[in-house]
Amino acid sequence: MNVSRVGVRALQQGAKPNVFFSQNLPRLALSAKATSTVQTRPASTNKITETDAHSILAAQRRQRPISPHLQVYDPTQTWFGGSIWNRITGGVFSGGLYVFGTAYLAAPLLGWHIESASLAAAFGSLPLAVKGSLKFLLAWPFAFHGINSCRHLTWDTAKGFSKKSVMSGGYAILGASVVSAFGIAFFM
Amino acid sequence: MASIIRPALLRQTALAASTRSAARVSTSFAQQSVRSAILKDSARCAAFHTSSRRSLLPPGPQVIKGGVNDPAPVPETSPSHGSYHWVFDRVIAAGLVPLTVAPFAAGSLNPGMDALLCSFLLIHSHTGFQNIIVDYVPTTRYPKSRKAAMWLLNLATVTVGIGLYEFETNDVGLTETIKRVWKA
Amino acid sequence: MAALRSSSRLLATASRSAFKPAIFTRSMATVGDATNQAEPKGASDSKMKKFQIYRWNPDQPTEKPKMQTYELDLNKTGPMVLDALVRIKNEIDPTLTFRRSCREGICGSCAMNINGTNTLACLCRIPTDTKDMKVYPLPHTYVVKDLVPDLTHFYKQYKSIKPYLQRDTPSPDGKEYRQSKADRRKLDGLYECILCACCSTSCPSYWWNQEEYLGPAILLQSYRWIIDSRDERLSERKAALDNSMSLYRCHTILNCTRTCPKGLNPGLAIAEIKKEMSF
Repeated sequence: MNVSRVGVRALQQGAKPNVFFSQNLPRLALSAKATSTVQTRPASTNKITETDAHSILAAQRRQRPISPHLQVYDPTQTWFGGSIWNRITGGVFSGGLYVFGTAYLAAPLLGWHIESASLAAAFGSLPLAVKGSLKFLLAWPFAFHGINSCRHLTWDTAKGFSKKSVMSGGYAILGASVVSAFGIAFFM
Repeated sequence: MASIIRPALLRQTALAASTRSAARVSTSFAQQSVRSAILKDSARCAAFHTSSRRSLLPPGPQVIKGGVNDPAPVPETSPSHGSYHWVFDRVIAAGLVPLTVAPFAAGSLNPGMDALLCSFLLIHSHTGFQNIIVDYVPTTRYPKSRKAAMWLLNLATVTVGIGLYEFETNDVGLTETIKRVWKA
Repeated sequence: MAALRSSSRLLATASRSAFKPAIFTRSMATVGDATNQAEPKGASDSKMKKFQIYRWNPDQPTEKPKMQTYELDLNKTGPMVLDALVRIKNEIDPTLTFRRSCREGICGSCAMNINGTNTLACLCRIPTDTKDMKVYPLPHTYVVKDLVPDLTHFYKQYKSIKPYLQRDTPSPDGKEYRQSKADRRKLDGLYECILCACCSTSCPSYWWNQEEYLGPAILLQSYRWIIDSRDERLSERKAALDNSMSLYRCHTILNCTRTCPKGLNPGLAIAEIKKEMSF
């Protein structure tokens, strides 16, 4: 038995906590309290059919958790991304249109007054600050949806996909939408 | 020679050292320190909040159909839900850009333009809502809710269509209403 | 004999601190002196950084996934996140599980979510700031263990697009299918994809509809075969995508383009497919 043989033997026993190769000497020292230093591995294998193996795997799959997504992903790309806000702003306006259309149809039955004249009168009677902020709150989603949709239409022609423009374009559109919202709200 | 005896010697040394240290520390101290180590460990492991009740669109347990080497099924070709639908969506969206800007820019009141704007807006809204439903109410997981949502949307679109028609014919029209409210 | 003496001394010190949760380092190339193995916490020149890592053990399936914090001295760690993970596994917690193979961004095994974006751990530098580093498995995947996601369905989807050359006509010279330089250039930016799944799992559309939507990676691969001048199944390939789910769940969110660790542009590839399909 020479040195190299010992080394090979130790490598073969790699799974066992061999003193030579152990990374956890203190743990070994603890476990060495057991009277015997002879390592035994009471592992036995038995063959199972392929269908059994598959059903075990299927059962394991059903236990698996889903990894976190929205809660951990970079919020500037998910929550503050242009795409989701395009959907939100569009959904708000479409929802408004649907609510208004249904309400207009139901107004005579329910005795509501949502004709253009009464709407304008109701809006005109509001205090100036409320009017201004309401206008801005309507103008910003409109401007954002309009500008961002144009960007999406450009993308649909497979243009404007350079990484730089993808990254910086979002901020440019946010700025442009705020500026034009001010314009629409207070100068029109 | 030394190389042969070394493992055995080392093992003996380890054994001796461990028994010595075990003798030195009392069992209660050992338990305490182990417990504190566990506590310390558990403090370092913050529980991760993934309560399935609050998560958006819970995906359900993992089920894989077919073997790992089978390809995923390819859906049937239907351009009316695929490429035609997509092109139609883009045409409507692109058409809306001049339709929304022109009446306000020109300041003219044209009933035909207004009707066109209204119908384009309705179609755009309808397909937009359709997209939202297809995205968030998948047929594979919620087939009934999906069907219900789609029919509800169709019903709503027809209702709103009639409502907008009434509004356009009996009132001053969408563009003019917005203009008046804005100037009020 | 000298070796024996030093080893036994090491054993003595080790057993004394057996109950302390001290960090022990394996004597790697960086640590030459065997007696200086414990990580010198609080040493003047140490740059400690905390790593919060997602843990879930399939042997205790009822337990919720949790975040576990490890602390490393960056001065003794390689520059990349994978180096840190390997070091944690070697020296602190051997139960930490993750995939890795090539350590140079060509195998795509170590794809994971690092500080909020998907990337390859071997290509991601550890930021030198003092903020905690957060490492999760690829988002919205089923977790096999710790940082290992199950990509079975992803590979099944890849197989469904028939990612190989399909043609009936033999080559004119009977040897190889030739292609002009311009046609070959069309494959640049596509053939480099290593299918690490970073882009697909960054896509919210893929999160919600991964059973049916193919996702950016598979669509980029699909485009690689659509645009290949040697392939003769263009119409079949396009027909397979022409439905509401496979391709058109892409809403140009472009998380894929932002996240690709290989610098490719899956968003552009999908837009090209849509353009190709529309006329």
